[in-house]
Amino acid sequence: MTEAPAPLAEPAEAVPVARRGRRPNPRIAQMKRTWYFLRRNTLAMVGIVILVIFILIAIYALFQPIPWTQLQQECASSGLYPPVNGCLCTYSSGTVSPGPNCYQTPSGYPSDIAPTIDFSHGTLGPLPLGSITTAPSNPTFYNIYAGLLRGSDWSLGVSVAIVGTGALIGLLVGAISGFFGGWVDEALMRIVDIFLSIPQILFVIIVIAVLVALPVFQPFGMRVALLIVGFVIVWWPFYARIVRGQVLVVREQKYVEAAKASGAGGGRLVLRHIIPNSVYPIFVQMSLDVGTIPLLLGTLVYLGFPVFPTIYFPEWGSMAALSVYSGAGASTFTDALLTCQFGTCVIPWWQFLFPGLMLFLYAISVNFLADGLRDALDPRLRR
Amino acid sequence: MRMWIYIVRRLILVVPIIVGVMTITFALVSALPIQDRLISSFGPPPKNAPCGYSPVCPCSVFGLPQAGNCTNPLYQRDVNKLGLDSPVYVQWGIYIGNSLTFQWGYVDNHSGASSADSLIQGEPVATVLSWLLPYTLELAIFSLIIILIVSIPLGNLAAVYRNRPVDQASRVISFSGYALPGFLLGTFLLMAFVLGLGPTFNGEDPTCKAQSFFQVFYGSWPSQLCYPNGQWPSWLSKGVITTPTGFPTLDALIHGQGWLALDSIIRMVLPALVIAYGTIAGLLRFVRNSMLEVMNLDFVRTARSKGVPENVVISKHAGRNSLNVTITVLGLTFAFFIGGFPVVETIFDLNGVGRMFVYALLAPYDFGLIFGSTLLFTFLVVFANIIVDVLYAYLDPRVRLG
Repeated sequence: MTEAPAPLAEPAEAVPVARRGRRPNPRIAQMKRTWYFLRRNTLAMVGIVILVIFILIAIYALFQPIPWTQLQQECASSGLYPPVNGCLCTYSSGTVSPGPNCYQTPSGYPSDIAPTIDFSHGTLGPLPLGSITTAPSNPTFYNIYAGLLRGSDWSLGVSVAIVGTGALIGLLVGAISGFFGGWVDEALMRIVDIFLSIPQILFVIIVIAVLVALPVFQPFGMRVALLIVGFVIVWWPFYARIVRGQVLVVREQKYVEAAKASGAGGGRLVLRHIIPNSVYPIFVQMSLDVGTIPLLLGTLVYLGFPVFPTIYFPEWGSMAALSVYSGAGASTFTDALLTCQFGTCVIPWWQFLFPGLMLFLYAISVNFLADGLRDALDPRLRR
Repeated sequence: MRMWIYIVRRLILVVPIIVGVMTITFALVSALPIQDRLISSFGPPPKNAPCGYSPVCPCSVFGLPQAGNCTNPLYQRDVNKLGLDSPVYVQWGIYIGNSLTFQWGYVDNHSGASSADSLIQGEPVATVLSWLLPYTLELAIFSLIIILIVSIPLGNLAAVYRNRPVDQASRVISFSGYALPGFLLGTFLLMAFVLGLGPTFNGEDPTCKAQSFFQVFYGSWPSQLCYPNGQWPSWLSKGVITTPTGFPTLDALIHGQGWLALDSIIRMVLPALVIAYGTIAGLLRFVRNSMLEVMNLDFVRTARSKGVPENVVISKHAGRNSLNVTITVLGLTFAFFIGGFPVVETIFDLNGVGRMFVYALLAPYDFGLIFGSTLLFTFLVVFANIIVDVLYAYLDPRVRLG
């Protein structure tokens, strides 16, 4: 078999120099393609709509009467843990005083008010979703509606911060591991294996439980930072493993070879060619995790674990947990546990239902989106 | 023969993982104050030690003539035992050695855990956990059975009847399972049973009929009143630990108490469902998608064309594959599965390792119990992964021969 003689010079029209500038960026094209398939997926669109509503609520809540900087001061002055007041109440010089969403219970009035839009509470205003007592000994309560509004900032903000940081670390580790291979890969993946064998909830708990006593983590802001750090330590290995798998595929592609042939160094190859082409699979995982993390936060608070500076923190999971406390007539989780041990406590349903519903809706909308993304990004599932 | 080589190789690979996990816990333990480390390692200071674990004491306490402070010999001895005055690698070696030999320390007298459960005061952590482990294992086996009998048939059906009601139902389960954490689902179930059923039957003793039906689904055993003579049986010491095996149903059967065996199973139904739900949600999609892929392969077409009935094609030819997928995904998500136990055992007040972990988190933390139960749960995950790999190798010859 004779080989065809190589052409001495390429025909001029084979190199479209003039059209090069107008050729669409392949990544933009990929995004457009993903959006095209996503738009056809009803569930994914429902998810996006709910998610956008949540984001709008969170933005609206940021501009509420008590912005978060003030909340920070209130919570800081309330002596962190155990709480003296709900952070929704105004707190000054050792006493709790009624604030915009926090009311002094009139004498002879039940502190747990069922949902009502009756305005006859006078100064109390309507309580469309009912109220939660901040503590049995403390005759103040707060409006669940206001709490849910405020909680949307926290649930969304904390989960995005955790997932963003975790994905960034996982992306770097996974890319390095997959690209360099050999003993680097072996060592990094064993570390990932080790991290993945500790049950995630327990791991978060032991990290926070040990570090929370350190003086560095006493200020309010650092407590929130600790929460994020604790989750990031546990979460990055998932992304590292996914990215590594993708990098192993991308590494063998022709364009990487071409870049290598034209003299690109390791750093440039990883940052310019490998990482941008391996990020798509982690988008699915990220969108799933953004929904999972508020649920885990709720779980931790429910277990009585002080991830937040106070248990009366306006976060959805905390509020659902608080309902159990107030059902048990207890101010600490120990009391709640021991009182409820014999099944004597009835939980006021509205205190549990509405925060739980928010958690559920948020998680499920994100899941719809993740499912749509997975179908749109994976051509095998698109049949 | 090849199977044994595979198993041994797999067991050797576990050692670095376990040592690695212990290294992580060692790093965390090192961040603790020395007092907490000493108490969690050696238990509360003995009665005849007036200064406890404080590093220095007034010399008069020891009957020494000079004024001022002297070093506390108890402190010195225990710090030496942990190697705290040696370089870090020595401390690490001592910690790994202790952890591997199950010397996980003692329960503190003053911790929240020991005030919640007075039986465990001052006991070694490993002993306490060994009392509770069988209950957790039985619950785990129970929920694994539920997972297997629900997710494989439902996943297969969803693939066969694609986009029909079965598929939609499995999709609903899948999505809601991701979005309903165990604490929400568990509390909802409890509330539903309390509100819906009210006080009716409990046990067989008439004196406890006045109590609510709730209790049948709450706690690991009926209350003390429900037993003959209003006393715990001798093998069920204080309603906590059963002898001889520790597995509640098994022990009740061994002692010929049929109704207690049945009762202990009934009490595990709701918790096992709650734990299984999240895992089933994750599994269904994988089973369905892999089944869809397998249904298009050549051997399925061959089976159909040679006249094998459709139900046999689905159950025998294509369906075999979904067991592999289920086991693989179960292995990958086992850490999450185990993470559900503390929550569920707390909600339903079951006497397992998970609830002890939550007790250890009550106000003054019990670090011995916290780290002990974390290590125990990690061991469970690691060994479940070995079992998964071995099963997978058994089901798929390409793995063990390749």
